[in-house]
Amino acid sequence: MHIRANPLYRRIRIGWTALCVWWRYKRLTWSDRLRRREPDADALHRVHQRNADHIFHTAVTLRGMLVKMCQVIGTRSDVFPREFVDTLAKCQDRLPPRDFDTIRRVVEEDFGRPIHEVFTEFDREAVAAASLAQVHKARLASGEEVAVKVQYPDIEQIMHIDLQASRHIAVIYNRFDKSPLDFIPLLDELQKHLRMELDFRREVESADRLREFFADEPSVKIPRVFAELSTRRVITMEFVEGARVNDPDALKDAGVNLDGYMARLMRIFNRMILAYGFFHADPHPGNILVNANEHGRPVFTLIDFGLAKQLPDGFGMGLFELMFSMMTFNESAMLRAFRELGFETQTGNEETLLHIARRMIARSDTGAFQGEFTEDMTDEMFDAIREDPVVSVPTDFVLVARAFALLSGIGHALGQSANALDALGPNPS
Amino acid sequence: MAETAVESDQLVFSFDELMTEDAYEEPLITGGVRCHGGYIGGKYVSPRGAVRRRAIANWHRRLAADGLPVVVVPDKYVPPSYPNYPQAKFLLTEGVVDPLTRALTIISIVEGFGARIREVQLPDFDREIKESIDGTSLAHLGSGLFEAHARDEAGHRDQGGHKQMWEAARDVGLDKPDIPNDVLLRLMTGGSRGERKRAFPELSERMEGMITMMANVLIIETFADNTFTWAKQLLGDPEVSADAERAAHIVDCIARDEVPHVDYLTVALSELRGHTLCSPDGTFAIPGSEVIDTIFRGQLRGMATQRPRENRERLRTEIRQAIADESRATRIARTFEDLDAGWEFPHADDEELDILLSPA
Ligand SMILES: Nc1ncnc2c1ncn2[C@@H]1O[C@H](COP(=O)(O)OP(=O)(O)OP(=O)(O)O)[C@@H](O)[C@H]1O
Ligand SMILES: [Fe+2]
Ligand SMILES: [Fe+2]
Repeated sequence: MHIRANPLYRRIRIGWTALCVWWRYKRLTWSDRLRRREPDADALHRVHQRNADHIFHTAVTLRGMLVKMCQVIGTRSDVFPREFVDTLAKCQDRLPPRDFDTIRRVVEEDFGRPIHEVFTEFDREAVAAASLAQVHKARLASGEEVAVKVQYPDIEQIMHIDLQASRHIAVIYNRFDKSPLDFIPLLDELQKHLRMELDFRREVESADRLREFFADEPSVKIPRVFAELSTRRVITMEFVEGARVNDPDALKDAGVNLDGYMARLMRIFNRMILAYGFFHADPHPGNILVNANEHGRPVFTLIDFGLAKQLPDGFGMGLFELMFSMMTFNESAMLRAFRELGFETQTGNEETLLHIARRMIARSDTGAFQGEFTEDMTDEMFDAIREDPVVSVPTDFVLVARAFALLSGIGHALGQSANALDALGPNPS
Repeated sequence: MAETAVESDQLVFSFDELMTEDAYEEPLITGGVRCHGGYIGGKYVSPRGAVRRRAIANWHRRLAADGLPVVVVPDKYVPPSYPNYPQAKFLLTEGVVDPLTRALTIISIVEGFGARIREVQLPDFDREIKESIDGTSLAHLGSGLFEAHARDEAGHRDQGGHKQMWEAARDVGLDKPDIPNDVLLRLMTGGSRGERKRAFPELSERMEGMITMMANVLIIETFADNTFTWAKQLLGDPEVSADAERAAHIVDCIARDEVPHVDYLTVALSELRGHTLCSPDGTFAIPGSEVIDTIFRGQLRGMATQRPRENRERLRTEIRQAIADESRATRIARTFEDLDAGWEFPHADDEELDILLSPA
């Protein structure tokens, strides 16, 4: 597939999309004002949805940073309407791959020799393609099968153009409209984030760190990386196969015993989030592969450490205390935990925080929190925060809540609960 | 246990009755946190006890009247607290606080997790127990006893429970120590029990699960006696405690609260021993005593042998971690080991542990 890297074309497409989005909102408020009526939730929902679809379409056509931006919007349920989050999160799904010559060029530039000297075999067809890179299967001189993740060559330039265009639009938008949403800080955050993600050496470091942390845990595997065959734009790693983490039939075919399956998976994420403070923040089903060990117990292979995240000191304990106090309905302890985690109310009125917690608890399946952050609960939390934006939510918490919600989704597909408190004890038998 | 010698033959209680509080004159507040229970006439009285205490005593009396023995863990099977009081005091005087902060924090969290007892899935008693269980503590497990126990351990609404009380004892006694950041990690590593086999596969998973859980908790609560004594000595020692009197008092309150837990679990398991357990389809029947005794002995042996061993290995590493200077670490470790009286499980090969005594 061909990507339009022409700056003018990209600017115009991005600008046009922004204009359409803005216009749809304006038309709605003006027509409400003309008819002197309260904004209608249904109409607003429709406009949100149309705008989200429009942005999604532009992103998929233009690729590059826009896809990444959509992925980020898809994770920021604390800021964006649910229609946006749901629609744009689809950017996680696979996109058509780019042609082999493009990929070969990157490999040859980075290693300074022909691709067949680096790899004895290199599949022309990609295994998978995403926003920044695609993955090919290859073979080393040693005979070992590897996965090679190769970054798109023009991606840095495209990112630059897109970020600039978005920034200009944001500036104009801010001038036009007393907008409640200031996009500029978000763009700053995005830029910082992208710069890190574009350097694959960082991803390799994160994988190494977690592989070492899990050295004593046979139920987790992190593919070995071939350091001498990895660069800023290329990662060569052990090729892993396995069943999809949320596909019960594939898991059964692979001989995986599903008793206590989610508890095991949750323990792995608990160890990273609650105990270690450094975690794989993107546990979407494409990033976890599963095999059976000799007892039929699952071994989880984690891939894609582009979004690994360091949490501040004390965060795990704070999160544990929050969950524990929600379980016991202890509101003064909830407040202490919210503060420990870095939640802030601009007015100093802590009732707002309790209100959020109460709404979340009410949305759990049993009406009492027992340790699982379901998608419903997380949605409810973000709705509450959006409706009453006096609360500032620490970004780390957003990422962790999203990770737990993704895990809960995996559990849901298997009819098991993704209970984080349950998984705090030693390995289930 | 029946310190309230109330003459009453009431054996059936509602949920609300079992939750009824005494008329406290003053609440228990520790470290700025409101906790459960309170004071009457200057004496601490445990929470949710106004009726629960009497109820348990009545069930116990009925058990005795029926001539049924009660399950107890003889002292000889109870491992001493580790590190022991002289060892722990030695560490504190040497300024090695982390291992004790860690131990007390883990106790507080584990106590908090005691609340999970409310999630035990009860078997279908009507089908899986041959005789009627009307008027027994068994019949009240799901309608008050587990819930009261859970609330005592983890706290409920604005009142802290043992979790918060242990935190307070730690903070008062050790003067708000820094919490080592590997506490949660420690809870998640080690102790993997391997693949567990069903002891009585004919019984429902719920039945066996419930009995195992109750036996496990009863043993932990019995072992905890030594922990209380230890904590009262250590945190109550003015030479190492920041507020000896207060810290020891908090631990004492916790210890008092645990009495009804030991009592109702003992009574319920002993009642079960006197019944006949069946498979859900009714084709298999077995005396409760056989089931309880097997599970109870297995749990007791496992916990009394494995834990002391693991604790010793862990603490050795922790002392090394806490002291940067190699030669000082070696010296402290040596004195520390010398103060260990050790612990061997009595007759480890003996299949029959004598766990049963007749009621007094
Ligand atoms: N070591 C590997 N062995 C086998 N397949 C792999 C390996 N690494 C990646 N893949 C495949 O390539 C896909 C994309 O890889 P990865 O998730 O690292 O890329 P990404 O660009 O970060 O994608 P996304 O952000 O959508 O998760 C994976 O979902 C998986 O199917
Ligand atoms: Fe307790
Ligand atoms: Fe207890």
